[in-house]
Amino acid sequence: MNVLKHQGLDRRGFVRQLGLTAAAVPFLAGLPSLNAARTKRPPQRIVFIFTPNGTVPPLFWPDAEGPHSTFKRILAPLTPFKDRVLTIQGLCNRVRGDGDGHMRGMSCLLTGIELFPGNIQGGSDTPAGWASGPSIDQELGRFLQTRAETRTRFATLDLGVAVPNRADPWTRWSYAGPNQPVAPVSDPYQVFERMFGQMKDQESLGSVLDGVRDDLKRAGKNLGKEDRALLEKHATFVREMERELKDVRRQKLARPAPALEPGVSTDNDDMPRSSVMQSDLLVNAFANDMTRVASLQYTNSVGQARMKWIGVDEGHHSLSHDPDLNEGSQEKLAKINVWFAEQIAALAKKLQDTPEPGGQGTLLDHTTLLWTNELGKGNSHTLENIPFVLVGGGLGFRSGRAVKFEMTPHNRLWMALAHAFGNEVKAFGNPKFCDKGALGLA
Amino acid sequence: MSARTHSLFRLAVCLMGLSVGCAAAPDPALLKLGAAVYRKDCVRCHGPKGEGVARKHDEPLTGDRSVESLATYIQRTMPEDDPGSCSAEDSAAVAAYIHGAFYSPEARAKLFPVRKELQRLTHRQFQESVADLLAGFGKVKQATPTGGLNAEYWQSKGMNKKERSALKRTDAFVDVDFGTNSPTADITADQFSVAWSGSLWAPESGTYEFRLRTPNGARLYLNSDLASGDANRRDDSDAKRQNATIDLWVSSGGQMREATAAVPLLGGRSYPLRVDFFKFKEAHASVRLEWRPPHGAWSVVPSQVLSTNASTSWVVVSTPFPADDSSHGYARGTAVSKAWLDAVSRAAVEVSGVIDGRLGSLTGSREGATNRVTALKTFAGTLAERTWRRPLSTKERATVVDGFFAKGVAPETALKRSVLRILTSPEFLYPGLDGRRDDASVAAQLALALWDSVPDEALRAAAQEGQLKTADQIRAQAARMLSDPRARAKLTGFFHHWLKLEEATDISKDPKAYPGFDEAVVSDLRWSLETFLEHVVWSERSDYRELLQADYLYLNPRLAAFYGAKVPVDAGFVPVKFDASQRAGVLTHPLLLAAFSYHRSSSPIHRGVFLTRNVLGRTLRPPPMAIEFMDDRFDPSLTMREKVTELTGKASCMGCHATINPLGFSLEHFDAVGRFRTVDNAKPVNATAEYTTAEGQVVRLSGARDVANHAAESPEARRAFVKQLFQHTWKQAPMAFAPDLLGRLDAQFLRDSHHIQRLWIEIAVAGVTEGMETKR
Repeated sequence: MNVLKHQGLDRRGFVRQLGLTAAAVPFLAGLPSLNAARTKRPPQRIVFIFTPNGTVPPLFWPDAEGPHSTFKRILAPLTPFKDRVLTIQGLCNRVRGDGDGHMRGMSCLLTGIELFPGNIQGGSDTPAGWASGPSIDQELGRFLQTRAETRTRFATLDLGVAVPNRADPWTRWSYAGPNQPVAPVSDPYQVFERMFGQMKDQESLGSVLDGVRDDLKRAGKNLGKEDRALLEKHATFVREMERELKDVRRQKLARPAPALEPGVSTDNDDMPRSSVMQSDLLVNAFANDMTRVASLQYTNSVGQARMKWIGVDEGHHSLSHDPDLNEGSQEKLAKINVWFAEQIAALAKKLQDTPEPGGQGTLLDHTTLLWTNELGKGNSHTLENIPFVLVGGGLGFRSGRAVKFEMTPHNRLWMALAHAFGNEVKAFGNPKFCDKGALGLA
Repeated sequence: MSARTHSLFRLAVCLMGLSVGCAAAPDPALLKLGAAVYRKDCVRCHGPKGEGVARKHDEPLTGDRSVESLATYIQRTMPEDDPGSCSAEDSAAVAAYIHGAFYSPEARAKLFPVRKELQRLTHRQFQESVADLLAGFGKVKQATPTGGLNAEYWQSKGMNKKERSALKRTDAFVDVDFGTNSPTADITADQFSVAWSGSLWAPESGTYEFRLRTPNGARLYLNSDLASGDANRRDDSDAKRQNATIDLWVSSGGQMREATAAVPLLGGRSYPLRVDFFKFKEAHASVRLEWRPPHGAWSVVPSQVLSTNASTSWVVVSTPFPADDSSHGYARGTAVSKAWLDAVSRAAVEVSGVIDGRLGSLTGSREGATNRVTALKTFAGTLAERTWRRPLSTKERATVVDGFFAKGVAPETALKRSVLRILTSPEFLYPGLDGRRDDASVAAQLALALWDSVPDEALRAAAQEGQLKTADQIRAQAARMLSDPRARAKLTGFFHHWLKLEEATDISKDPKAYPGFDEAVVSDLRWSLETFLEHVVWSERSDYRELLQADYLYLNPRLAAFYGAKVPVDAGFVPVKFDASQRAGVLTHPLLLAAFSYHRSSSPIHRGVFLTRNVLGRTLRPPPMAIEFMDDRFDPSLTMREKVTELTGKASCMGCHATINPLGFSLEHFDAVGRFRTVDNAKPVNATAEYTTAEGQVVRLSGARDVANHAAESPEARRAFVKQLFQHTWKQAPMAFAPDLLGRLDAQFLRDSHHIQRLWIEIAVAGVTEGMETKR
């Protein structure tokens, strides 16, 4: 049973938020891309996954470069995918300028470029505004849309889990361009509506037309010839519409719309449930080839998730400020990060369990999950040694190993991703961090 | 009326007699002669009933000339191959014969009886109905403009956190540049915030554009229900789930930023409006809220549409519809098309989505609650009754409500389907389809006639209590309904039709010839005209003649400067008296004079056609051939009048231009932007002319005032006004209700001292009571 639910946001508001208007969406067109035979290369997909407030480095990073032996505690949930996990240590967000560490950590993470000066003030440093350039997810989405063989219904799918509904440099990491933050959608029902709403509306409409035709016929009986002709004409158009709707419905989705659990809110306590729903939707979007690029943002920079479901009552960000010697807090931070890793492992499993439609292998063979963070470590607010974990395949990177770089600008990883997708950028973000070229990961 | 038993001819004359005094019945011998002459000399080109003959004269022989005028015309121009060969006696006989047989509108009405047609809702009616249907589930609050917004100024502490309210006042509009200063002595200049709140009045329906400009942080909320109890829409407040119409909250780059949003609004309603603003350590502070109303220019949202009072929000269907047929001068729903059905279906989906998003407040139930299904069914049942404008039978309720709430279907999905079913049903789309003649149908008709919408609570109650049976009861309801803003909006629409304002979308002029006549002036002129119409129509006298004869214009300082008048510098729109021999009501309103002009010069033809058709109510056939007015083809020393005279001199033109030109020439004292002038092309303006009425009377005109006086006294002009208002109201011709209805309404209008409001009430009452007797 599929239930739609909205959180104080009417449909028009929702449509507006997506930058669509009713007028722009033809009613009987624009259906989900139906995996029309795309013969050439197998698809490449990527999901950028954000979790906040830094990691616990000793419980996260592999000790040595090279093939993984046993994962440490935080990465342990990814053990089933060990051969497909690539950890990259030593990448730094070198962007400076306006904004505090969290703001730059967040808004310069996928963009690799400075923030504009503005009116948003953090705990320290100068007030800042939005990032001054696009983010790598949006750039990849834009690039894939320029080619017929990689074009999909959505350039990107921008999802969130419990992201607060406010727009500032702490809550936005995806940018369509300078000063163009992209709002992630945290409400799975809204995502569902975006992916399948039109189809459901058509289904609903199709279910009433029969009755309307009966009414027209009955009403016509009491009328004179001319007036009856008007209703008969109306009925003819209704019949035509019925036929068209039937034709549309005959085009089956590669995978049917997922069944969503009803009554799930976007609040803190529902995070475990909305996380599952968002990943179900994401897998479905890939299976139906609605998009190739997605982002999944858990809370926000400085996020205060209270993970009561794993016995952590304190806010995540507050805990992350506690010193390393505070063992209780370190333990809780470890639990929090393990939970995040479990979400990623669950998503990877679903992708692995889903065959690649019309192709070989599974979705995970052609999808890379990229898990990152706005900080290296919470209590130091460092932008060095930021976690970058890649799970899956399809980009031609050599996996199943740990690599280490020395103080390397993370811009170079974004260049490597762009190149892997066939987008031969000469730089990404601030060019001064790109002079050594794309990271070699093959 | 007993006319049915009379001959066609008598009916025609008697109806004519209502306005011109009953003429003696023509001599039967004359008619016999006329018929014989017609058969001999005319029928080969005009056909037996004046229907025309292919490749000879395929225009039907109809018009509004009197018998006398027709006779003169025939004698002068007929037959085409030998004009002037028809004797005066024969011409008079033919004129008398064809006038009664098929030429006059009354004869045609009898030959081709006008039927009351089944009509679907127009686009406007669909939109208005939906807005009222959904608002009807809550408390409706409208705010008439008070000339400004509530403003509250706050000292901030730590970005946008409000510390202290320092100042409350009314601001006329949102356009303020604080520079590097603080708004008031009590607030520091580095960080503060302001909240403006109230309502915005939309004068007409259409897409409005809004623009917010600031180098700081600002948000606009328009037509959305705002969370209560929040001092300012702070990011961490409970308003966080509300979407701003324009969000410029984060300043970025230290530059002036602007963003626009297009918002569909229905005229005659007020909408909740709020602007939140904050400054945090930027060098400068400023914010401006501008709009571009339909047909208007960008300007700061003016104080005359702002109110400090609160309004409810309205659901405005934004799905585009194909244009309704307006070929008869008023929008009507006489045709259906695939595009229309598609629009209706999409709009129904749109509305079902809006309802889905507001289920909590609309049904008072929560998802998963035990009363959910009952609450949703109750809501759908009420919606169906209000949408269909009558109670539902048990069977109908089962079909359009209960039937959807089946096992295995989520109640929310069931409701969505029920809403789609209700809104796409013929019962909603074709009002009066069921042919019922009961109190509920009277309520439904009144609501459509005066509001283009569905009955409100008072009307529904009156219907339920059986209070809509007599003409007096209906009249009382109509009078009540007239005071509702929706009635004003509909009447405004009528004046837009009457004055052809809908076509007056581009009035730009050659800036070299008319420096200063810019978008802002044109926008002001629209306001000036709307203000004048509002003032006259809704004043106590509500006198039709004042529309034509007023010797004042509403001007603001910008218009006063342009049109050479004086008003106080800080005035809004105030009435300014002019020399009565120069200005006369709508006829000389600069907006219309400019609209009916060329890019560089006046256009007596456009002005004359407008006066002939719209003001004097005469019919003009389309020109036999389209002739473009090309200014450079004329001797450059000619005046406009001389050029038009030369251009239309042929006999084939003069059939119509003999009427058009004198009327147009009488307005030659006004240039292409409506300024008074005495010289055209270095020659004195000649605005004298002789105009022949449809009855053949010659009226000597020496300027606009004479035309206005003639129009104000002319029975045919008055009847045309009544007829047009009737058609705008009912979307059918009065003839379709009763052959003599127009005459009766016109006579009552005359008795009521040309009182427009009373006329409209009588039109509404007559439409309902006649409708009761006339079965479709």
